[in-house]
Amino acid sequence: MFPEKPELVISIPSKTELLKMIVEMTKHIAIINQFPPSDAQKVALALDEAVTNVIKHSYRGSMDENIRVEFYCHAKGIKIKIIFTGVPPVLAKAGIDLDKMIKQKKKGGLGVELMKRIMDSVEYKTEENINICEMIKWKTQES
Amino acid sequence: MKHFHIRSKLAGNIAVIFPKGHLDAHNVERFEKEILKQIDNDVVNIVINCKELNYISSAGMGIIMGYLDEIREKQGDIKLCSVNERVYEIFDLVGFTEIYDFLDDEKTATNKFENVS
Repeated sequence: MFPEKPELVISIPSKTELLKMIVEMTKHIAIINQFPPSDAQKVALALDEAVTNVIKHSYRGSMDENIRVEFYCHAKGIKIKIIFTGVPPVLAKAGIDLDKMIKQKKKGGLGVELMKRIMDSVEYKTEENINICEMIKWKTQES
Repeated sequence: MKHFHIRSKLAGNIAVIFPKGHLDAHNVERFEKEILKQIDNDVVNIVINCKELNYISSAGMGIIMGYLDEIREKQGDIKLCSVNERVYEIFDLVGFTEIYDFLDDEKTATNKFENVS
């Protein structure tokens, strides 16, 4: 369904200071692609979370690694691929127990859950030391 | 250019924290420092006034979550107020709206503490 070639590709260094730029750009792309502003902001947040995880966990905070983001647009939705190296991510099981996390004084663990709740699908795979996170968001009928 | 600002004020035994702008993993440390500063000063009645908060990612929410237990153990609480619709939707997505009090405005939030003490 999605075109083979991405509509837009960006390649960025693994710096958290670029997260806002990624969010603004993604929001813009989603709005151009006819997502309502509220959904566009959520898709942008899902990408923020995915990229933050790459920087924090796969690159362990190193700022001179590379992250490639590809956007595939279709009348019915948007697909985003995040391509990176480093430590392969392990996707946590679905669902969180917020009360338990509070008791455990946890500060992390919400990001992947947000990605899953926002996007219609979130998949990770690793092939020949290249990690790929692929996320899809379909438009709702009202969009 | 800074995309995130934070300030706070003390009203009796209640601290009101004002995060402003875009709160993400890049600037979350400053938000955490502000919360920690209140706890270190034994101020555990905390209102986070979100009227100028345009965006929050899980990094910021993690801080609100990570200190709640310690604050409640000390008979305090974290309450949020003046949250705009978009930001509220994000809090709601992960279930924060079931755990925390979300109040319409700062006065209502601080009154909630005053009614308890």
